[in-house]
Amino acid sequence: MFKLLKTVIKTGEATVRYPFAPLPVSPGFRGKPEYDPTQCIACGACTIACPANALSMATDVEQGTRTWELFLGRCIFCARCEEVCPTRAIALSPEFELAVGNKADLYQRATFTLTACRSCQRPFAPSKEIDYAMALLVHSGLEADAVAEQRAHFETCPECKRHQSIPDSDKLTLGQTTTKGGAL
Amino acid sequence: MNGIDRGSFLPAGGAPTPISESEQTRQLKSTLLKDIQRSAYVYRVDCGGCNGCEIEIFAAITPIFDAERFGIKVVASPRHADILLFTGAVTRAMLTPAQRAYEAAPNPKICIAYGACGCGGGIFHDLYCVWGGTDKVVPVDVYIPGCPPTPAATLYGFAVALGLLDQKLKAGHHRQGDAERALVAHPGLPLDLCVRIEREARRMVGYRDGRRIADDFLEILAAPANQPLADRVHRYLQTEDDPRLAEVIARLVDVSARPAGQEAP
Repeated sequence: MFKLLKTVIKTGEATVRYPFAPLPVSPGFRGKPEYDPTQCIACGACTIACPANALSMATDVEQGTRTWELFLGRCIFCARCEEVCPTRAIALSPEFELAVGNKADLYQRATFTLTACRSCQRPFAPSKEIDYAMALLVHSGLEADAVAEQRAHFETCPECKRHQSIPDSDKLTLGQTTTKGGAL
Repeated sequence: MNGIDRGSFLPAGGAPTPISESEQTRQLKSTLLKDIQRSAYVYRVDCGGCNGCEIEIFAAITPIFDAERFGIKVVASPRHADILLFTGAVTRAMLTPAQRAYEAAPNPKICIAYGACGCGGGIFHDLYCVWGGTDKVVPVDVYIPGCPPTPAATLYGFAVALGLLDQKLKAGHHRQGDAERALVAHPGLPLDLCVRIEREARRMVGYRDGRRIADDFLEILAAPANQPLADRVHRYLQTEDDPRLAEVIARLVDVSARPAGQEAP
C-alpha cells in the first residue's frame, strides 16, 4: 500500500492542463494552413496538388478575376500545398483549435485580378503572376530595365504570341497538309 | 423504428433530405446550454469512416487528455446521449442507421460533425457512394475539422459545442489591392544558387523540411559576412543539435562552394 502510494506520487499527474493552459505541440505539427494573400500569385499549384480538393480556384473571365478558396472542413493537413507553393504564400501553422459552429466560417477566399492580353483583350493570367515572373527574370541576372521594356510581350497571351512570332505569314508557301488560315 | 416515417428519410432525386429541427427543440437546446450543470454524454455514430476519428475520440478519453474530468463520457446507446458525434462521409449504406441514431437520441441533443469527412465529405466528397458530410443528413451544431482531429482539438470542439469556449476561426475574403506584389525569396543571392541549394535539400530530406532547411541555410549565406561561413553554420547547428541536419548542411555547403553545372559526385 505504502509502496503503491509512493509510486503514484513519484509518477505525478499525467493529464494535460489543456483547455485551461495552452497545449505545446510537437515541432513539425501540421495544423491550420496559414495563408498570406499578399504573397499569393494565384498560379493554382496548390489547387492541383491538394488531394482532398479543399483548395480550389475559379476563373471568372467576364469579371476578369480569379478566386482562390480554402474549405478547411475538407482539409486533411497533408502540407502538399506548402510544398508546391512557389512564393511561400501558404504554410501549415501549429494552430489546431478549428471547431466552428457556423459552416461558413470554414471558408477562406481571396480574389485576384487577371491581366487582359494586349493584343486580343481577353484576360489570360493573374497580374501578380506576370509581375512575379518578371521579378524572377531580374533575380536571375537580367537587367531590370530590359525586363521592364518587355512588359508588352509578357502581357500578351500565348496564342497571340504565336500569331505574332510567325514572320510575314502571307509569304509562307502552303504545303500539302497546311491550308491558308487553317494551320496558323 | 416505431413512430418514424422512413419514407421521408429515403433519398428522393439522388440526395437525402436533411432532418430539420423544430423551433421548440432549438429553444430547449439554448436554455439547456445557457446553464448546463450536468455531464454531457456522447454517442459516437460511425457513418462510414476509416476509424482514424474513432481512435482520436478514444485518445481524448484516455488519462492524458481525460475528457471525463469535464463529465464528457462516451456511452454505448444513443438513448443515453446528449451529444452525437458523426464521423465518416455518410455512405449510402450508413444513411439509415445514422438517421435512426439521431431519432433515438432524446431532445435536446447536440450534433457534431467530426473530422474532415464529417464536415464536408473529406477526401471522399465526390465518391459515388457517399452523401458527403453530416449536414446533408442531420442538423449540425458544431464542425470539428481535422483528419483526424487531435484529442486536444476534440476537447476544444466539445467546449465550443457546450458553449464554454468561443470559436476562433472567422471566414475571410481578401481582395487584391493596388500595387500588391509577391516578393522573391532571397533576392540577395543568385537565383541558380538558390535553386541548386533548394533542390539538393529537398532531394535529401523531402519537400517540406527540405525547403525549410534550404531557407535557413540561404539566410545564413546571405547574412553580412563579418564571420566566416563555417562559424555561422556551426552556430546554427548548435541550436538544433541534430546529426542528420549536420549532414544535410555539410552537403549544402559543398553544393554552394561549387560553380553551377559542376554537381557533386
